[in-house]
Amino acid sequence: MIEALRKKAEELLKNKTVDVVYGYGEGSVPERTRPVFITKPEDVNKLTWNKYCVYNLTTYLKKQEARKLGKPAIVVKGCDAKTITVLIKESQLKREDIYIIGVTCTGIGDPPATKCEACDVNTPLIYDELIGEKIENKEFSFDERYAELDEYEKLSEKEKWEFWQKQFEKCIKCYACSSICPLCFCDRCIVDKNQPQWIDPSAHPRGNLSWNVTRAYHLAGRCINCEECQRVCPADIPLNLLNKKLAKETEKNFKYRSGYNADDELAMATYKEDDSEEIFK
Amino acid sequence: MSKKIGVFVCHCGTNISATVDVEKVAEEAKKNNPGVSYTTTYKYMCSDPGQKLLRDKIKEEGLDGVVVAACSPKMHEHTFRNAAIKTGLNPYHVEISNLREQCSWVHPDKPTGTEKSIDLVRMMTEKTRKDKSLNPIKVPVTKRALVIGGGIAGIQAALDIADGGQEVIMVEREASIGGHMAQLSETFPTLDCSQCIMTPKMVEAAQHENITMHTWSEIESVDGYIGNFDVKIRKKARSVDLDLCTGCSSCWQVCPCKKIKSEFDMGMGNRTAIYIPFPQAIPSKPVIDRENCILFKDARKKNIKPNDSKVCRKCIDACPIAPVKAIDYNQVDEIVEEKVGAIIVATGYKELDDTSLYGEYGGGKYKDVITGLQFERLASASGPTEGAIKRPSDGKEPEIVVFIQCVGSRDPAKGCSYCSKTCCMYTAKHTMLFKHKVHHGHAFVFYIDIRCAGKGYEEFSQRAIEEEGATYLRGRVSRIYKKGEKLVVLGADTLTGSVVEIEADMVVLASAMKAQDDATKIAQAVYIQYDKDKFLSEIHPKLKPVESSSAGIFLAGTCQGPKDIPETVAQAGAAASKVLALLSADELEREPVVAKVDRSPPPVFSTCIGCFYCQKVCPYSAIESEDIKARDGSVIKTVARVNEGLCQGCGLCAATCRSKSVELAGFNDEQIYAEINALEFN
Repeated sequence: MIEALRKKAEELLKNKTVDVVYGYGEGSVPERTRPVFITKPEDVNKLTWNKYCVYNLTTYLKKQEARKLGKPAIVVKGCDAKTITVLIKESQLKREDIYIIGVTCTGIGDPPATKCEACDVNTPLIYDELIGEKIENKEFSFDERYAELDEYEKLSEKEKWEFWQKQFEKCIKCYACSSICPLCFCDRCIVDKNQPQWIDPSAHPRGNLSWNVTRAYHLAGRCINCEECQRVCPADIPLNLLNKKLAKETEKNFKYRSGYNADDELAMATYKEDDSEEIFK
Repeated sequence: MSKKIGVFVCHCGTNISATVDVEKVAEEAKKNNPGVSYTTTYKYMCSDPGQKLLRDKIKEEGLDGVVVAACSPKMHEHTFRNAAIKTGLNPYHVEISNLREQCSWVHPDKPTGTEKSIDLVRMMTEKTRKDKSLNPIKVPVTKRALVIGGGIAGIQAALDIADGGQEVIMVEREASIGGHMAQLSETFPTLDCSQCIMTPKMVEAAQHENITMHTWSEIESVDGYIGNFDVKIRKKARSVDLDLCTGCSSCWQVCPCKKIKSEFDMGMGNRTAIYIPFPQAIPSKPVIDRENCILFKDARKKNIKPNDSKVCRKCIDACPIAPVKAIDYNQVDEIVEEKVGAIIVATGYKELDDTSLYGEYGGGKYKDVITGLQFERLASASGPTEGAIKRPSDGKEPEIVVFIQCVGSRDPAKGCSYCSKTCCMYTAKHTMLFKHKVHHGHAFVFYIDIRCAGKGYEEFSQRAIEEEGATYLRGRVSRIYKKGEKLVVLGADTLTGSVVEIEADMVVLASAMKAQDDATKIAQAVYIQYDKDKFLSEIHPKLKPVESSSAGIFLAGTCQGPKDIPETVAQAGAAASKVLALLSADELEREPVVAKVDRSPPPVFSTCIGCFYCQKVCPYSAIESEDIKARDGSVIKTVARVNEGLCQGCGLCAATCRSKSVELAGFNDEQIYAEINALEFN
């Protein structure tokens, strides 16, 4: 699989189909990988693929430093590929401006990441070239997809509130969650707006709450649950629990799953007559 | 320098002061608030002396911000802002705190109402501090109007505008103008023949030099904004060249498809496949019904061009026009583009025709149970029986006819909770027409209430009972069933408390007036709102009854709700006068309360990231995309831009924008933030 990946990258760079390949490279220890940006065909041997390739490389599509390297080919797992669908739908990317190298994936991380438990995108839903044997994507029921919320949803409203207050108290406002998020692509985040200052920038409980709630809200109906925010959070806040809950509500109320179908209309920007009104309380 | 703000608290008679301590509100407004330099209360702020007080104090006290704590800004914001203009103060430094609709009317408890009022005034004071001067936006006006619908509402509106000297484009989807009124026999309360009073108007509209008529045409799309609409009209393929055809009737006389149910006759009579809907149709030129014409059926089956089909060419052969025939089987739909400054929607209603709703009345299986409009066609001289009352099943003259009112109307279970307004009167009329034609006949009417409010209306319905001998029974009909040739009507007479059984020859249902099936489609095409019954919504039921929720688009007739002819004509005239007023100016002044997308100096250019969620949520299509370009023409960034002419200032874009890059003038982030903080920290 690694050989096929390197061969494809070499071919793309030699043919000048792309200027750069975003991929995974060996890390300093075997259990780690790091993002690599290959611009020369002779460097393709730096590319690797293993179960430690956790990053969602699509986040680099919004970084000016990476975009400056030219037209990219990008190595994506099924989960990461969903981001690309959203980015295209949200006018951040044109399909023809990117070459997608999809890799089939049976789960990453050690122990395996939560998102891999009910993975229905072992084979990416969009790609230009598929590396690895095509895997028939599994189907899960609504309840199976959101099984990780079972414990959380047993809590009363008051307990949930207390749970999150406790979690957000830990936040140090490092904004790693937003930096890593491929869908947090605004040039100026609401947190950077200071006239007026909607969100208190200091790591004070009040500001922490508004930051974390706003971050989650801004991803409602958009987040594809790559879990990167949760992975990078130095305070171990279970951010994806919030994201996943919003994804569940979005699917329940608007029959919309972010990143799955490029033709679906964005749930949070579309009014339909049969939209559920249960969410208004 | 901080603003000097004046707070004027209105008693609104006792509307506010009965449940809000206005003196305390005024006092509290000043307390701990150095920005508020003047407060007062007044019995009626909107009165002339009230406005004078406002003007005088602005000058005397040197106020540069004003909060009027009174009723909804929808009512008097305009009044107080205009008063401010007279003193030289920019009107957008005047804000309204709504103490009536939001406090006194909803909080019967005085202390709570007062407390909330104090909060609301404080919020508005804080907002006023951040108010900026705004200037009206000027937009040019295209001096033409579009009227959608060619019924009495559309015709009247078009004539009034055309007589006012402005051009009108009229679009009617049927082959002829005339609408429902052309179908009616006589009209209440004067019993004059509907067509006799309708056709002169139709002719006048057709011949008016300022009116361009598109029949057999539908609205494809409407873009643009008040004063500047771009309209695409789909001229459906008529298969007949209107310029060549003389309406000589040769074609429809030879058409072999003679058994097609006539829509104009409500299915009571037949028509041919090439037809004019009724003798007085305008234009008096036929159309080919492509669904039913055997030539078109054959062409569809063989998948060939219609003109290549040889099944039947009788109409084209009969056409005397030479050398080019007026009939063109291969004609295709044509899109006409027009620019207009104002639009009147007059798309009318449809009669409730879902017989399945009324299983107890036979559910459509009894031929002699007909609807009100069908009875109109029976009684009409141009109808299938030439005005003779004959029952549909066997053509016999009915002697006993039962009229049932409120069929659908006032019946939430059947989907129309409203009153259709016209049925009490037309049923009274029907009993008279019946009695005039069948002297020995007898009419029974089942009613819930008799609602005949209108000039001469009550007298008219009394006449039906007292002079024409109709028997009115207060109650509902529970069942109709067939017994030989008769229809047995089982009902209740609630005034005597008895069960009534009538052996009738015919039953007429006063079916509800419903919104057109595609009413929502037209509403969405022109971006106007509709209500739960799919009738188009006026912006204010009392004070703006013909204005729709989109500026420059007006409503006339039954598309807005059930109405009779006089009311429809009056509303059409009102809509026309609004259009004429709009078209009388060369430029329009628009409220500057519009959204704006951030533009910053390089290297940011705009904080907008171009996700275009704002575009997707905008109900008025006011968001466009704009490329910010470098000097060499290369695109640096594609961002959103608001078309000020289209923007209605609803603020959806501002609420949707994640990076807060859209702001609504007059409701900008700083103002909203100040309002929230005023509430939170006190």
